Amino acid sequence: MDSRPTPTSLIAILWIPWSVLRAAVRFISRLRSNIPGMIGFIGLVAYFIGTFIMPRFIEFDSEPNLDEIVGPIGSRIQLAVHRENAHLVTFEDLAGKTVGVVDQTGGPDLIAPYAHILTIEKYRWTSRRAGPGLEASLIDLANREIDALLIFSKTVTELITNQEDPELRALFNENIVISNRALGPPHLLGTDTQGRDIATHVVHGGRVLILTALIGGVISTSVALFLGSIAALTGGVLDSALTALTNLILAIPRFPLLVVMAGVIRFNNTLYLGVLIGLLGWPALMRAIRSQVLSLRERDFVEAARSLGLSTNHIMFREILPNMISYVMINFIFSITFAMYEQIGLVVLGLAPINDYTWGVMLYFGRSRGTLYNPDGASMALSPVLAIAFFQVCLVLFARALEEIFDPRLRAAV
Amino acid sequence: MASQSLNAPLETPGFDRIIDALGRALKSYTVRVFVQAILTIWAVATLTFLLVREMPGNPIDVLIEQILTQEGISYQEAYDRVAASFNFDPDASLLDLYFDWLGDLLRFDLGTSITSPGTEVIDEIARFLPWTVFAVGMGLLISFVLGIVLGMTMAYYRDSFLDHSLSFLSSFMTGVPNYIWGLLIIIVLGIQFNLFNVGELRGTYDIRLVPGLNAEFLLSVCKHAALPIATYVIATLGGWMLNMKSSTMGVLNEDYVNVAEARGLKDKRIITSYVGRNASLPLFTQLTIAVGFVLGSGVVIEEIFVYWGIGHYLFQAITVRDYTSMQGVFLILTMAVVFSNLFADLTYGMLDPRVRISGER
Amino acid sequence: MSSSVIDLKRVYRSFKSGRDIVPVLQDINISVNRLEFLCLVGESGCGKTTTGKIICGLLPPSAGIVEFEGADIASLRGEDYRRFRRSVQIIHQDPYASLNPTQTVSEMLSYPLVRHKLAPRGRGVLQRVHELLELVDLTPVGDFVNKYPHQLSGGQRQRVSIARALTTEPSVIVADEAVSMVDVSIRIGILQMMMDLRDRLDVTIVFITHDLALAKYFAWDGRIGVMYLGRLVEIGRTQEIIRDPQHPYTRVLLSAIPEPDPEKTRSKQHIQLRSEDIPRLTELPPGCSFHPRCPWYMAEVCDQEVPELSVSFQSGSDVEVACIPLQRGTELVLHDA
Repeated sequence: MDSRPTPTSLIAILWIPWSVLRAAVRFISRLRSNIPGMIGFIGLVAYFIGTFIMPRFIEFDSEPNLDEIVGPIGSRIQLAVHRENAHLVTFEDLAGKTVGVVDQTGGPDLIAPYAHILTIEKYRWTSRRAGPGLEASLIDLANREIDALLIFSKTVTELITNQEDPELRALFNENIVISNRALGPPHLLGTDTQGRDIATHVVHGGRVLILTALIGGVISTSVALFLGSIAALTGGVLDSALTALTNLILAIPRFPLLVVMAGVIRFNNTLYLGVLIGLLGWPALMRAIRSQVLSLRERDFVEAARSLGLSTNHIMFREILPNMISYVMINFIFSITFAMYEQIGLVVLGLAPINDYTWGVMLYFGRSRGTLYNPDGASMALSPVLAIAFFQVCLVLFARALEEIFDPRLRAAV
Repeated sequence: MASQSLNAPLETPGFDRIIDALGRALKSYTVRVFVQAILTIWAVATLTFLLVREMPGNPIDVLIEQILTQEGISYQEAYDRVAASFNFDPDASLLDLYFDWLGDLLRFDLGTSITSPGTEVIDEIARFLPWTVFAVGMGLLISFVLGIVLGMTMAYYRDSFLDHSLSFLSSFMTGVPNYIWGLLIIIVLGIQFNLFNVGELRGTYDIRLVPGLNAEFLLSVCKHAALPIATYVIATLGGWMLNMKSSTMGVLNEDYVNVAEARGLKDKRIITSYVGRNASLPLFTQLTIAVGFVLGSGVVIEEIFVYWGIGHYLFQAITVRDYTSMQGVFLILTMAVVFSNLFADLTYGMLDPRVRISGER
Repeated sequence: MSSSVIDLKRVYRSFKSGRDIVPVLQDINISVNRLEFLCLVGESGCGKTTTGKIICGLLPPSAGIVEFEGADIASLRGEDYRRFRRSVQIIHQDPYASLNPTQTVSEMLSYPLVRHKLAPRGRGVLQRVHELLELVDLTPVGDFVNKYPHQLSGGQRQRVSIARALTTEPSVIVADEAVSMVDVSIRIGILQMMMDLRDRLDVTIVFITHDLALAKYFAWDGRIGVMYLGRLVEIGRTQEIIRDPQHPYTRVLLSAIPEPDPEKTRSKQHIQLRSEDIPRLTELPPGCSFHPRCPWYMAEVCDQEVPELSVSFQSGSDVEVACIPLQRGTELVLHDA
């Protein structure tokens, strides 16, 4: 008897969340038979956890280490030792030894607990491929001036085996071995150009994007809903004016307009961008909602409600709106994908604020610093690309599942 | 209907007759959509005019400010210089300026570039636009044809494994933003698998070649456009597939298809001339609408592949704050969208006899 | 005027369709008498549904007056209007379109009860919903209260629709083709129930149908109004009209009803129309709009003047007919087809 409208204080308050819950349970039970929809739904839940909850537990790695370091997926510290010291494998083994550290990814942090048992020799790093710092440290190691060397890049193996200088190649190959490739915690997705952990950036890089897209989606959907219903219900001059305005805005290519506006206004807050995207994004949905209301208004059950003397409010909110709500929800999801598309497009072009380190900003830096074109940078280039791609795909899969579930032709058969 | 009113006998060119003919012409569908298109372009043009001139922090004020602080000349001098590059008379009133500007627009005079004085914006657009039209046009054509074939296949084998996997794939193709597809092509195919040299494919053709109708040049043009085209194809294909599938399924339920089968017509003939023709009809309208969207999103794609089309030109204009160029490109893009929609409205009537008969939609 | 509940006086109604103005109803005069059974019959497009909506006050007439218990409904305000609103209800043709797919049966029935305070809140409303469902034979009630429309069959939906119309305790119910979309096998059940309800609840029923046979069965002790192209062409007691139809159009309709006895049907004289084409509402012929098809057409008479409803000259009954030759007492001559 939950559905009975008895607006006596407590029951009325509980009725709304209860009916939402009921709808959600019904919806998920229907979703079970729709595999792509389930994938999308689970994906979105995972994205929510990953971008809104996990950042509370995983700290953003903002500590830039040496320049121009791009660690491969799963990169960890490698321990290079002189061939005679091949038994040195762990930090404990290194007690009392002189250890060279090429100052990179999390290096100082990692060594800190052992700093008191090691004698540390620091080397500067200048360039990733033929860094004289790294080369010098290798020469020192080969000459036993240091006992071990902590290295944070896969390129060291390359430097040893593919050394162009035959003398150095012989020296390195004869004297140096990598005794441990997995010292310290791994970087799940490797490190970026500044030696920072990419995985933490991925975790932290979605929140602002998703929030902005949500703002854009909420604004465009509610403006569309509001204007569409107003136009359909009032008719006359207001309807004609709103329809004309909608057609005008629809004729303007939206993305170039945003590009031009962003170029002129130069936003400093991502959320404003969401507002702008929302304010430009309503016309298509408004047209659809207007025609939906126009058609629903003429339905027999609305006429029956009028005949029963039910109020205009009742007719709008209880008779018409519930029949559009699934359509509106589906379009809300699609409007989020549009907002996502547009804002990331602007960020990639460098026309949107880059003060939050989002997936879009990762792409922007990847392009402007050239790491996208770096064969070692696959992880750095692909992490934001795939994060964005899968988020969008999850949204689309979910929305399409909703479309199928709420398709009235299919529902009539249920 | 349009031809009727235009061919109406005009023996007595009285005022009433003209008004009457005009009235009837306005009622004709063709004329009405045409007038609507012109009005839309006019409205957008006016809007841009006002934005550039009257918005707080508008480009003209910003430029004057910039010249004032940089060169320390008088306000009037700075204003005159800005006026010269925006191609307007510094002493005229706003309304006069507006009509001047509209007049220039009618003669396709979009002013000169601010950052490189002496360069006509319209010439620059004429230089960059064909490349975009080529890439976008090819991309849409390929994806449209592919989408129709795949969509019909999905409809014929509906609920098969093929249908489900293609439909899942189409969610991927439409869901992933087109620039992300572009980046994936570059990163995975170009950099990781080293299938092509990304750096060499910048621009619209190999600059060492002299443009001309020779095989070498044309090959270079195709090679340079291949990646943007591939991106447009991937990003739009999914949409065509799904639309064609649902459209085909609608047609397959129609009686005339059953009748055709009952008449013993060959399957191939039914598929092509009965189902294919009727099912793809509504997609033609969507094709012209897609032109607008793809043209617009070309800004990022061309930037990513460094393909020198109109989007690249727009982006360059924005980075150096070349407002006249921005304004010009924006107007041209809007016109492209409006005219492609107009084209859709007009051709739909020719393609679909149901619309042709009633003359109205 | 005490015997009539609703009076339509010189009611016109037109709709705009593109640039055309379509006259759907012209000069309709009907009195719906208290507790009677009135059947409006006609082909699709004759304006019978529009008439029904105007009777319900759901559509204002373009011209003319609709009176409820003697008062013009356009002038009703406040409590008077609400009383009229409650008193006249409609049952739609399509049970799939007339129930809101997002509401349960109990929601649908309780909204008007709460709105008009027709039952004490809480338990009272619930109890009344149960009573209403029992009234329309949706038993056991527990199986239906929390169902959504898509979980019900066509016949069940139509019963819900009737129950909903009864929530406001109306005195007039307009049933617009109420059984035409229901399976033939359950039609009679619903019709029987409606007849019972009329006797038990004292409601006047205006039954709109295209099926004269149904009207004959349903309104045997009531009246029938025959409509053609937006005009009422004949109205009178069912038994008289069936026994002795006056207006040519009614005669044609009646001759088309198959009799239960096939021999009878075959031997029955089938009147041939002069034309099968129904004129468009926008291009109505001058004079009597039936004349281009009328088998008894009289040149110079029927195409000149629009006939008005009045008592037929020859018959002694009070059946009213809109046919000039009949009103003048001219002998009708059947044309050869």
